[in-house]
Amino acid sequence: MFGYVRPAAEELKVREFERFRACYCGLCHELGRLYGLPGRSILNYDFVFLAMLLWGGEGECGYCMRRCAPGLFRKKCVCSTARPLTVAAGYSVILAYWKARDDLADSRGLKKLPAMAAALWLRRGYRRAAAAHPGFDADVHDRLAALAALEAEGTESLDRPADQFARLLASAASEADEPSRRALGQLLYHVGRIIYIADAWSDLADDLKSGSFNPLARRFGLTSAQVPAEAKERVWQTLNSSVNLACAAFELLDDGYWSSVTKNIVYLGVPRMIDEVLAGTYRAPGRRIPTRPQLGQNGE
Amino acid sequence: MTDPYKVLGISQNASDEEVKRAYRELAKKYHPDNYVDNPLADLAQEKMKEINEAYDSITRARKNGGYAGGSGYNAGYSAGGGSSGYSGGGSYQSANSTYAQVRQAINAGNLQYAEQLLDSSPTRDAEWNFLMGSLYYRKGWLDDARSFFQRAVNMDPSNGEYRQALSMVSGNNSPYRQTGYGPPAAQGGCDMCDMCTAMMCANMMCGGCR
Repeated sequence: MFGYVRPAAEELKVREFERFRACYCGLCHELGRLYGLPGRSILNYDFVFLAMLLWGGEGECGYCMRRCAPGLFRKKCVCSTARPLTVAAGYSVILAYWKARDDLADSRGLKKLPAMAAALWLRRGYRRAAAAHPGFDADVHDRLAALAALEAEGTESLDRPADQFARLLASAASEADEPSRRALGQLLYHVGRIIYIADAWSDLADDLKSGSFNPLARRFGLTSAQVPAEAKERVWQTLNSSVNLACAAFELLDDGYWSSVTKNIVYLGVPRMIDEVLAGTYRAPGRRIPTRPQLGQNGE
Repeated sequence: MTDPYKVLGISQNASDEEVKRAYRELAKKYHPDNYVDNPLADLAQEKMKEINEAYDSITRARKNGGYAGGSGYNAGYSAGGGSSGYSGGGSYQSANSTYAQVRQAINAGNLQYAEQLLDSSPTRDAEWNFLMGSLYYRKGWLDDARSFFQRAVNMDPSNGEYRQALSMVSGNNSPYRQTGYGPPAAQGGCDMCDMCTAMMCANMMCGGCR
């Protein structure tokens, strides 16, 4: 369900894009250093965004040249280890583990196997991450449990389940310093809300087929993946209002080293993702190292 | 005190015109109207105050140094000018005392208390639905807010306050969307007009903004 939050790459300056890529690679190396291969396997764009936000008003990050499997023959410039990367890495492992546990509880029969494999694959790393970030671990556990309870009761509200997931993401702001913590929490809350609803939209067809809970299907009483125009408009509006609130919160954060990239993500990347998801043209980025877009690739 | 030039994000030898432009940009960004019903309104207000002080101190210093600083611009954007939320004593007075309390609680940002009061209220009339909608709107739950506003309007179509609230959440209000530095807006439409309409609706919804 991750990877929705990424920049509109063609709008970044070349140096901003290179920095962003270095941060992506830096998070990957950090995951590898702390949690081994299972850690690297869950690398995604959302936590690169979180790492950049947690950087706050601190100055320039350090860089070093590193090798990795996809770029074995040529060393790449990556962000050297720093507290925000460590935190983002730990948080992503915790969230991925609980997500796998959640999937395990939801699935039946043979479908349990992949979820079980994922949970086992991440367990060692999870224990280490939970020991390092006990507060976030407890928050994620509580929120996902509350979310599962809402799903079990079959809530007809879209906002209630989205609220639980949004609060889960907002609790990642507890690492930030006081003046910007509230604004960052609010920003992450709305980004989390957007991710949850966008993900529900993307999963709609699959969920209807398998009979799993889908908040949008419940909310609008959908029986086919063909969503009526009115419902689509409602979803777009509610997502758009979250974009506005996220932008308003973003403006209250201190300017820092990553501001130009995070601004691009909040103002351009996220709205574009929403439009693409609702139009059905969105494609998950996978785990490829971000590459600079070529001419004519900017979605026009 | 922090460097006023740093607050405005300009260099010491910026021209008066540049100072004014930087100030205007920032004042627009943190204007209370952008933070109506936003839980972060107080933070924006603080920023606004900082900017105002910085601009004041620069213009004052430049005036004393012989520069013709453009003072007096300040009055338009005073930090305390933003009235947000539902003013309990405005033109919309609740007859029911619980509802008056709820309005006050929402206004003060005490959403938990407001929710408690509403949950324990025995009646579920139009105003109850309207207040539920307001509460959810404050939380950022737009979809639920709209459902409750809709219900309130259905129960009491003659009430202007409910209708305004509904039209505000149903409108295409995008003060931020696509205002970055990117490609032309995909949605089309007039951004500034959208913004103004949104602000006007928000303002009307506040009731006692005068």
